[in-house]
Amino acid sequence: MNQKNEYKGRAREKAPFLFLAPALLVVFAVLLFPIFFSLIVSGFNWPLSEGAGTRHFVGLGNYIGLTQDPEFWNSLKLQLGFIFIAIPVELLLGFAAALLLNRDFFGARVVRSLLLLPVFFLPILSGLTWRFMLQPRYGPLNNLLLKLGAPEITWLGNPITAYLAMIAQDVWRMWPFMFMMLYAGLTAIPAELIEAAEIDGAGFWRKLRTVTVPLLTPTIMTAVLLRIIDALRIFSEVYVMTEGGPGSATLLFSLYTNRQAFGYQKVGMASAMAIFLLVLSIIFAVTLVRRNMSLDVLEEKAGNR
Amino acid sequence: MKKRTRKILIDIAVAITAFVVLVMELYPIGITVLNGFRRDIVILSGQPFKLSQLTLRSYQMVLKNVGFIVGMKNSIIIGLLSTGISLFIGALASYGIARFRFRWRNGLAYSFLVFRMLPQISLVIALYLMFSFLGIRDTIGGLTLAYTSFNVPYVIWLLLPFFTAVDRAYEEAAMVDGCTRGGVFFKIFLPLVAPGLVVAAVFAFLNSWNEFLYALILTGVKAKTAPIAINGLIGGETLTWGQVCAAGTIMLLPVFAFTIGMQKFLVRGITAGGVKG
Amino acid sequence: MKKAILFITLAMLVATMIGAQTINVLFWDDAYPRTLMTRIPEFEKATGIKVNFEILQPPQVFTKTSIAVGKDKSDYDLVCVDEGNIPLFAPLFLPYDQWVPGKVFKKVDPKTVTPAMLDVAQWDGKLIGLPINGNLYVWMTRKDLIENPKYKAEFKAQYGYELGVPKTFKEMLDMGTYFNKNGIASGFGPFNGGPAGVFGEAIFMWESYGTHFIEWVNGKPTLVVDKAKGVEGMEYYKKLMAISPKGSETMAHVERQAAFCTDPKGVLDMFIWPAQIASYEDPDKSLVAGKIVYSAPPAGPNGTFAMRGAWAVNIPTASKNKEAAAEFVYWWASKEIASWLVEQNTVPARTDALSDPKYAKSKPWLAAIADSMKFASARPRFNEVAQVQDIVKKYWIMGITGQMPTSDAMQKIMDETAAVLKKAGY
Repeated sequence: MNQKNEYKGRAREKAPFLFLAPALLVVFAVLLFPIFFSLIVSGFNWPLSEGAGTRHFVGLGNYIGLTQDPEFWNSLKLQLGFIFIAIPVELLLGFAAALLLNRDFFGARVVRSLLLLPVFFLPILSGLTWRFMLQPRYGPLNNLLLKLGAPEITWLGNPITAYLAMIAQDVWRMWPFMFMMLYAGLTAIPAELIEAAEIDGAGFWRKLRTVTVPLLTPTIMTAVLLRIIDALRIFSEVYVMTEGGPGSATLLFSLYTNRQAFGYQKVGMASAMAIFLLVLSIIFAVTLVRRNMSLDVLEEKAGNR
Repeated sequence: MKKRTRKILIDIAVAITAFVVLVMELYPIGITVLNGFRRDIVILSGQPFKLSQLTLRSYQMVLKNVGFIVGMKNSIIIGLLSTGISLFIGALASYGIARFRFRWRNGLAYSFLVFRMLPQISLVIALYLMFSFLGIRDTIGGLTLAYTSFNVPYVIWLLLPFFTAVDRAYEEAAMVDGCTRGGVFFKIFLPLVAPGLVVAAVFAFLNSWNEFLYALILTGVKAKTAPIAINGLIGGETLTWGQVCAAGTIMLLPVFAFTIGMQKFLVRGITAGGVKG
Repeated sequence: MKKAILFITLAMLVATMIGAQTINVLFWDDAYPRTLMTRIPEFEKATGIKVNFEILQPPQVFTKTSIAVGKDKSDYDLVCVDEGNIPLFAPLFLPYDQWVPGKVFKKVDPKTVTPAMLDVAQWDGKLIGLPINGNLYVWMTRKDLIENPKYKAEFKAQYGYELGVPKTFKEMLDMGTYFNKNGIASGFGPFNGGPAGVFGEAIFMWESYGTHFIEWVNGKPTLVVDKAKGVEGMEYYKKLMAISPKGSETMAHVERQAAFCTDPKGVLDMFIWPAQIASYEDPDKSLVAGKIVYSAPPAGPNGTFAMRGAWAVNIPTASKNKEAAAEFVYWWASKEIASWLVEQNTVPARTDALSDPKYAKSKPWLAAIADSMKFASARPRFNEVAQVQDIVKKYWIMGITGQMPTSDAMQKIMDETAAVLKKAGY
């Protein structure tokens, strides 16, 4: 046995190739070419179909075009707004539910499984169902809202309500994901720590603040991170609900990228948008993630130093 | 109030609240399930529900639809394959990153993260070209590979908080007893992180099950998946709601079954007790 | 009997000559291809050619065609192309005059295609495929509403002329207003769904008020719209929106069908794509099956215009099974299959099948389609049409719903369209 027992200080170990190799192989082999392809194509005028003419180099032309495109900035704004509103709400609901259901009552396991159904619902169907529910005349949700005294608006035809409806759809669908992550995190908290706090006379909120939340922080941050990554790629639900409308009120970044690539046949522009998003993500990863979620921080929070 | 009575009352209150939350949350799904049993003309007319409206016709038509059956079959196979592979490979890599302090550990973790952040749009065209060239377009293996490429980073990052939370004491003790690194991983460590593995398995399966873009571009007739088949039930411009709802309900069943099955591993307090006494 | 035996023997002989070939076909999702699919096994048996088909929604057909059909390689041997996308793919398709004469089925003469549809598959002076459906605006009016004696009397009293199928825009507005005001039925069914469809409605209005939108001038698509007339068209549609059902600002095909067919009140009149008529006339899906009168669209100040939106079938030049693919088309567009398709309430593009007197009585829409064909009009076609459609959709809807003054909306459309055309180098 050599220095593998040395965990203190900044001991450098050999990289565990056997553990890492399969993942490295699969992911890099599949994704390396696509990434380079995207990078290179973003410097070209690259129509999707070969019938549309030649593909020629434009250097930074696509990027410049993007900065001058008001729809691009609008879509970015909408996407960020979506993320900053939907995800905190999903987190709160998921956390509340995880705390609530963190006990064994009759039917608990069934309730927990059923609660996940929205997450399993096919995104296109979710979008179609919400569109259906909000239609005037025959939409159940529309009729419910009217009974509760809401004004008679075409929910998906008004820019603000359409945006809110889109957010509501996502919150409805994904807060059970937060619930499941946090619930699994809760089950990993050793019971003895909770008991120790109770013996010290801590009430519900004290226990929460001093024991539960600190230990759950890594899970919470990972859940939020994963949700952000997926929220950046949301497409089918929004497309069938509003197609980006009315006007451009729900034309999220992901939808606009799709429209550039498949609607306008401009793969170069879409790639430039993707690279732009990638750079943003890298900055996000390097600053926020590193500060709050680097492996050292995770271990520290888990009490493993 | 006696402690036990208090506990029972709280349990009942929780059960009722849970039930209410569940009903509200499942409302849209309930509508979909219900509409699978009604005719299109009834669904779109806005009539309130009556028992007499129930019919099995949509289900019959969906189950007779060969495209849908093939799609379901492919989705199940590809889902299980990509989940199994991703979970295995991802757990190994996550362990490697969590437990070994090698120099480019953080950089590696972030590059997996960044790989996961790439929009699929920008990747799918390149993947299509690659797959066509290699001849794995429209094959189950090809699509599984594509799905594994986004599931592995997902699994790695999802498992990190669970992995780093486990006390190293267990593994140290096992190694002192002469266990190899690999043995420690499979026999000691994995059981301790069962909840994390369950979550990872469920969501990796889900990512594959519901995925659309890769399935659309990278498959044709043979490896078609369920989401593509359901798309075909949308009926073009004249929506066939009953069938879409019936097919959607059918699509919920395998995932639901998978989750209930996995739930038995979500047992509490596995890390309680142990070595540090 | 002898003829049948001879035919079968010949077919089997030919089948063995062709060998066990396979073709990959890409259909769009519609009642029409779905109906055809039920008889494909017959084709396979007669020719020994196996047909692998994919059936997808139109936007996905567009995407997959773009990706999978190249100059040197094609995953598909036969693709269905919406007329608006023909310019984009034209360089990749085999011109019709180069298609082989059929072995089992005779090569279809382009003259059998309804003249108004032939243009669909023509680009750059060549026929590059075969138009396969006769899809253009047909007007639907509720027969039971306009023949109701009480309504007829009231309407005549209020407006001074007979209630009936609206023949002009004025009549359309008057009659729609009457029914809507009295809560009997909605007065009109607009289309505010996908960009191509909204573009169609806009062009319909603009042409009816006397202005083109984009024309090919000196080999370039040029913006030629007259703003004043464009605004008139928008203003009229705005009036129609006021008598439309609730939720009409986002009405796509599904919602229109719901309003017309499943709402007990229904809608007085609206345009329909013949491809959808089968669902509207299906008693299982529609409360108004059998209660619909079909006609050509009402005439605006500048005349009658029926927007065309047809599909064509094309063989990629890069396909390795061109002969087999051609065979499939000849079967599809043959008189026998076309007539059968008409019987099944779908609308192929063969004149002799469409005008066969034996269907005239049971399928009243056929006469209306024939009438509409006299006034067929098409949306402008050029490579950047997708971007222009999005611009038009955005501001057209804002204009007709009152979110923006129609004059501003029209100006926005013109400015941004001009910018797109300029950027594209025209």
